[in-house]
Amino acid sequence: MAANFWASSHCKKLLDSDEVGHVLPADQERGLTAEDVKLIKIYLSSYIKNLAGHLKVRQRVVATAIAYFRRIYTRKSFTEFDPRLVAPTCLYLASKAEESTVAAKLLVFYMKKIPPEDKGFRYEIKDVLEMEMRLLEALDYYLVIYHPYRPLIQLLQDAGLSDIIVTVWSIVNDSYRTDLILMHPPFMIALACIYIGSVIKDKETRTWFEELRVDMNVIKNIAMEILDFYENYRNIPEERLNAAMAKLPQSYVNAVGD
Amino acid sequence: MGKSSGEGRYIKGTTLGEGTYGIVFKAIDRQTGRTVAVKKIRLGKYKEGVNVTALREIKLLKELRDPNIIELVDVYPHKRNLHLVFEFMESDLEAVIRDRNIVLSAGDIKSYMQMTLKGLAHCHKKWVLHRDMKPNNLLIGVDGQLKLADFGLARIFGSPDRRFTHQVFARWYRAPELLFGSKQYGAGVDIWAAACIFAELMLRRPFLQGSSDIDQLGKIFAAFGTPRESQWPDMTALPDYVEYQFCPAPPLRSLFPMATEDCLDLLSRMFAFDPNVRITAAQALEHRYFVTEPAPTRPQLLRRPPPKPEGPPKPSELISPGGPVVLSPMSKAVRLSAVPGGDVHSFGRADKDMGKDPGSAGTLGGTPFTASRIPMSIDASQLVRPTLNSVDRSHLKRKLDMDLLSNQD
Repeated sequence: MAANFWASSHCKKLLDSDEVGHVLPADQERGLTAEDVKLIKIYLSSYIKNLAGHLKVRQRVVATAIAYFRRIYTRKSFTEFDPRLVAPTCLYLASKAEESTVAAKLLVFYMKKIPPEDKGFRYEIKDVLEMEMRLLEALDYYLVIYHPYRPLIQLLQDAGLSDIIVTVWSIVNDSYRTDLILMHPPFMIALACIYIGSVIKDKETRTWFEELRVDMNVIKNIAMEILDFYENYRNIPEERLNAAMAKLPQSYVNAVGD
Repeated sequence: MGKSSGEGRYIKGTTLGEGTYGIVFKAIDRQTGRTVAVKKIRLGKYKEGVNVTALREIKLLKELRDPNIIELVDVYPHKRNLHLVFEFMESDLEAVIRDRNIVLSAGDIKSYMQMTLKGLAHCHKKWVLHRDMKPNNLLIGVDGQLKLADFGLARIFGSPDRRFTHQVFARWYRAPELLFGSKQYGAGVDIWAAACIFAELMLRRPFLQGSSDIDQLGKIFAAFGTPRESQWPDMTALPDYVEYQFCPAPPLRSLFPMATEDCLDLLSRMFAFDPNVRITAAQALEHRYFVTEPAPTRPQLLRRPPPKPEGPPKPSELISPGGPVVLSPMSKAVRLSAVPGGDVHSFGRADKDMGKDPGSAGTLGGTPFTASRIPMSIDASQLVRPTLNSVDRSHLKRKLDMDLLSNQD
């Protein structure tokens, strides 16, 4: 790996599967199920990506923003934090942390321009800036996130599979529709994506994987999680998503600091 | 840190100073009884939320923990201002160097350099470049420990393609590759600056005091000779490279008459022109200079200047008053420099960090504006989303040793 993941806060903060995807008590009270929460997270991960497309920021910023978003909802409830404000604010914060700052004005401009089906995204600059402060606190000010992209390039070169990079790269992008980035070292996610990509593109990688001496069970579990996304969550029916979103509060209280 | 954070945890004391992005005051941490310095970050004027420099400092200091790096004790919001809580530091290395009442023995200098290099070695191990090494960013605590502070210009490095701005460091501490406009520099820039500090500890004045970037290079070459191609092969390829008239190197001993052989050997390795040859912080700490007599003075025995009324840590000062100018890393400054020969060339170079890295997310909105560059700009989730048909899927499932029947469409 190009940078020192093992010594990072990201590594120390990796979560077990029972620490992600759970429904916080406040959300349970509103009737949100684990499935609802999963759908909302996928929807807003896509929203972040969509918004980022308009703002022309690097993929790394998108990835960091989604990681922040998912990390926040392992600790904070959807009832307390409106995901329709948290998602764009995560993108705003990630753009700063990844040194490609996006102007708040521009962000809000596109938040209003991109038409989501429900109108919950109508927030102003001051809402984003207030939320930024709350998110920093919710993240305990840990902002460094490592991603699978860098190890991916090296691993593909090593495997002699640089020709399937486009496919594998897009699988890595799609892995952010899951909570995997919170649970596994980025290079393991990269390996799982290579595994899927090599099967799709019909490449022989068994020997290469064997020589790597990584835990293939973990790789397979990660791969299954990504496949589960492709099979069951790629196209979420509108009504299922709307039903989940309808369980969110109609209005949120924004309280900053003391 | 736990839950106990925020305004209530600190007993506010006197104001220590005011900097570019807010005021610093002294406080007592009720939880630990420790004296701390609280930096109150003003929100930007331009409605851009948390100051980017402050955010950079928070981000990096949360990853760094070392006896020779300033400790970020806590961060909390209060009345819409972010507050950064640092351990309180009594003085800084600049005050030591300038204090004529303090005699710096060879052991003292060795001790300061050892602490500086230890702090740097930790940063570099974690792939953090400090990028603003200078004596007044090296703070000194009541126990004599020296700590690297002010990470407002620091960056994570380590990606081979990452391009940085060269407008970092106070000019007198800038490495030659930066002065020649390099944007793919590494840890060597911090080592060069540490070498300047090393020299400054011996001379008791800044070693290479250039008045412009061109003059700075002139001063460097006057001290060490104009580098030959064999000494630094990549030099001529640097963006702002200009040829300097050849000037031979005076013996290093003539510049530092009091230094020992070991000391000069380490100094010359830290001042190597070619950043690839320049010694690393970890290697420097292994250098015989640190094991031969005299031993480094124990930090608590180092003489300290009287505590300053406006003590550190100081807020990031992007423009140091009276000193060399440091531009902000994201600055899009256009630099005009007179080049020997009379012509004026523009070396302006905006930091075009955005949109040119792996997979700029420019495709989902409809315009695949980066799709042509491979592999550095793939974002194929729309273009080449892998489609898994049922044949693929069953094939994949077999490969994954999974039960085919358990998960049908």
